[in-house]
Amino acid sequence: MNGRVILRVALVILLALLVQSTVVLSINLGGMHPDIVWLLPITAALLAGPETGAIVGFFSGLAFDLVLPTPFGLGALVGCLIGFSVGAAVVAVDARASWLRPVAAVIGSVAADMLFSVLGAIFGQQEMVQIDFFSLFVVVAAASLVLVLPASRLMHWALITDGNRRSLVPAHANEGGIW
Amino acid sequence: MARSRRSRRTLTLVVLVVLSLSIISLDLNGRTHSITSGVKSVANGVYSPLRQAVVDVISPIGDFFAGAVHYGALQSENQKLQSTIGSLRQREAEKGFENTQLRNVMALQNLAFLDALPTVMAETIEVRSSNFTLTITIDKGRSDGVEVNMPIVGAGGLVGQVIQAFHHTAVVQLITDGQSKVGVTFGNAYTGTVDGQGPVAPMTVDLVPPHTPLHKGEKLFTSSLDAGAFPPGIPVGRVTSFHAGAGASQESITVTPLANLNQLAYVDVVLWSPPA
Repeated sequence: MNGRVILRVALVILLALLVQSTVVLSINLGGMHPDIVWLLPITAALLAGPETGAIVGFFSGLAFDLVLPTPFGLGALVGCLIGFSVGAAVVAVDARASWLRPVAAVIGSVAADMLFSVLGAIFGQQEMVQIDFFSLFVVVAAASLVLVLPASRLMHWALITDGNRRSLVPAHANEGGIW
Repeated sequence: MARSRRSRRTLTLVVLVVLSLSIISLDLNGRTHSITSGVKSVANGVYSPLRQAVVDVISPIGDFFAGAVHYGALQSENQKLQSTIGSLRQREAEKGFENTQLRNVMALQNLAFLDALPTVMAETIEVRSSNFTLTITIDKGRSDGVEVNMPIVGAGGLVGQVIQAFHHTAVVQLITDGQSKVGVTFGNAYTGTVDGQGPVAPMTVDLVPPHTPLHKGEKLFTSSLDAGAFPPGIPVGRVTSFHAGAGASQESITVTPLANLNQLAYVDVVLWSPPA
């Protein structure tokens, strides 16, 4: 495991957390604000595949769980599922396609929020499905579309080190594939 | 080789999912909840100053642009507020005598009256940190005497209840949140429970028998029932509609909060904990 990659990913997660709880929270459209946390596993999965997407999703979700009033661990669960799903879904697609990042960001973020609310309700937090989903999806999709490029740049900086190792797992495990 | 890679990916996912589910179980289990709340408390202690530093840096920039854009509206709002303060001062003077009498009666009945309870003023530092819950975060925590379950009041009435208390901050669940339940009394000692329904639907009142005497605009106050979760007498809401369908087991009532939940820059924490 590459210590520098871990440190950089941790810094990116902290930066996203600070941006979410300061700048993003002040953006209020229809009572909803963007959720930028999901962009981290989505961009990690696009850059380095499903396993890295799941690991980044788990830890970024867990970091956000620390400061949210929702059940602790729920963000980690949704993050790893979304990271893995996005990575697995795009594995057969040309990673250089220009449409891939915005489409994956919009669909992934909306799916993540839907999963978050449904799983929250399953775990007993019924209020998590008593929201205006249309407004939420519009706000989250629009923000993901705008922010996917900077998020992708940051994740690229965090994951790509010398020798083009793009994952949090040992380099020898990546032979023969994208990661 | 490809099969081995797929197996390892699947194994990683399974491990992470099991780990997440274990953490959720610890958090939701009443006996082990203290472990996760302790972790959250420590993380909050580290993260809050960092977040505040960022806010201190960026808020003057945001305020400058907001002030420049909304200067006219701010002047008009300031005039309205001055007028409101004047009328409230007048009303306060009129109510002084009635309040004294009411306090005496309440004292005789050995009930905690809100005015007699100590409060701590808190500033709201975060509104609705999650899209999925109706909560605010305040800048007072355990070091200021704030504990879980303490009531929060604001302009007009009850705002909510503390659900998480950290060292210097606390999270407050608003009365409109879907998980919120407040025992209330109204009219001639009738009782019920005000249930939050989330941001989209109005609050409702449960456990009120059909054809209970009510009128539109009737005020509801916290009661000492519902295991004494709130001190009695805090204004909660105003009835906006009511009806009892044929054969209904209870009156169907909707309520709007008396506190203005869109203006929560400052709130008061009532330093009162429910009896054990």
